[in-house]
Amino acid sequence: MEVYCPQLGMLIGFDYCLKAQNGLPCSNTYGCWKERVDVAAVLKANFTDEELAKVFNTVPKSRLERIMESVSEAGRKK
Amino acid sequence: MEKKIFLSDKDMPKAWYNIQADLTTPLPPPLNPGTGEPITPDMLEAIFPMNLIEQEVSTERFITIPDAVMERLLMWRPTPLCRATALEKLLGTPAQIYYKNESVSPPGSHKPNTAIAQVYYNKISGVKRLTTETGAGQWGSALSFACNQFGMELKVYMVRVSFNQKPYRRIMMETWGGKCVPSPSPDTAAGRSFLEGNPDHPGSLGMAISEAIEDAVTSENTKYSLGSVLNHVLLHQSVIGLEAQKQLASIGKYPDVVIGCAGGGSNFAGIAFPFLRDKINGKEIQVIGSEPTSCPSLTKGRYVYDFGDTAGMTPLLPMYSIGHKFVPAPIHAGGLRYHGMAPLISRVFADGLIEARSYNQIETFSAGLIFAQTEGFIPAPETNHAIACVIEEAKKAKEEGKEKVILFNFSGQGTIDLPSYDAFLSGKLQDYSMPEGEIEELLKELKKIA
Repeated sequence: MEVYCPQLGMLIGFDYCLKAQNGLPCSNTYGCWKERVDVAAVLKANFTDEELAKVFNTVPKSRLERIMESVSEAGRKK
Repeated sequence: MEKKIFLSDKDMPKAWYNIQADLTTPLPPPLNPGTGEPITPDMLEAIFPMNLIEQEVSTERFITIPDAVMERLLMWRPTPLCRATALEKLLGTPAQIYYKNESVSPPGSHKPNTAIAQVYYNKISGVKRLTTETGAGQWGSALSFACNQFGMELKVYMVRVSFNQKPYRRIMMETWGGKCVPSPSPDTAAGRSFLEGNPDHPGSLGMAISEAIEDAVTSENTKYSLGSVLNHVLLHQSVIGLEAQKQLASIGKYPDVVIGCAGGGSNFAGIAFPFLRDKINGKEIQVIGSEPTSCPSLTKGRYVYDFGDTAGMTPLLPMYSIGHKFVPAPIHAGGLRYHGMAPLISRVFADGLIEARSYNQIETFSAGLIFAQTEGFIPAPETNHAIACVIEEAKKAKEEGKEKVILFNFSGQGTIDLPSYDAFLSGKLQDYSMPEGEIEELLKELKKIA
């Protein structure tokens, strides 16, 4: 079973969404899969509260913020 | 009645429209998440040339399109404005539906409008090489086409899962001379660190961004390019709406409703911003951004203060609660915020200049199918969001008995997205519950990977 991922622009499976952020779920997992899966139950069964809070209880970064973070990171590696 | 309205080459707009000149509330600078301070132009210089940064912060109303850019845009521009007569007939609507056909560009979408401009400005700044990231490859292919036009080297970091499953965009990139690698890749420190943890890592857009930026920052004469979100990207896309204004004027029409799909914001801004200028100056016009219900940015979002800031730095945050089952509310869903709603779109939405609607994937693919079976063109899945909204507005016009003029941006064609249509046509995208056994199998797989 797949959904069309608006972020990647392609069909994607539930397994990808569950580990899309470095082993943690994509923050869109609930919105994309709620019609098909008891997403909350699956997440609770497979991730700690801390991990879930990291994904769902933090303010998502804008693209520019993400870019600036990567610039700083890359600058340190230079 | 004309089916297609063309503009001659000489009538193509000579300048881009910059909505920043007409905003009632100026756009606040974004904050650096590390320091909490506003991001300044010099901080952007590590990845963008100064001429593009100047456009990013410019409040000049019109910015002249350079001749070399114009020359390339003329390969497919001005794009035709088409009347969707067959769709109107099917819907039995008194509405007149017009679409700006941006799918006629070489890569098949609106994206090269900014790709061409960005490559040009990098080129005249002495940049020899560009990097970027791409999900399914629409931006990567547009930038590859543009780099080819100006003899610029390009490296595209494509999310591995997409690289493996969607070869056609990669082939397009390579056909135009761009180098495309799956991300995470062994070519950057960021990529290597991801691969160390999992050599078969499927990648993510975030990882691909990290790799593309690291490459740009650590390589000689190399900059980074982005196809959405930023002010200068939206500026370059304004050519879409500017042309549409001229084309409609040539047949004595003006739209009652303007519609575009609002993902990263660039195609929506392209069609909408020149008309928003009219709205700001008193014209009555409805402008609608259409987005997915799965990750709503505008329809479910709300303007909040970010990073505890109280000085008006207020990015739009898509927030909705998914309940209290496992973590305390509120839950923040990334959605198009992560995907990246443009700050300028957030601003005009907060100012009440535009409205937003959301549609689920079944509604959007159904709309795309109706369009393909009436007007012939197979739309890109993103474009289907706009079409779903157009159909809704056309039906509303029928109920009200109003002869509205509806204009929308047909932002891209979908022939490279046929697997998505296949999944829809075979019923795989229907919203039905995943069988318990299938979930268990997936979870076993997940535990193996973790």
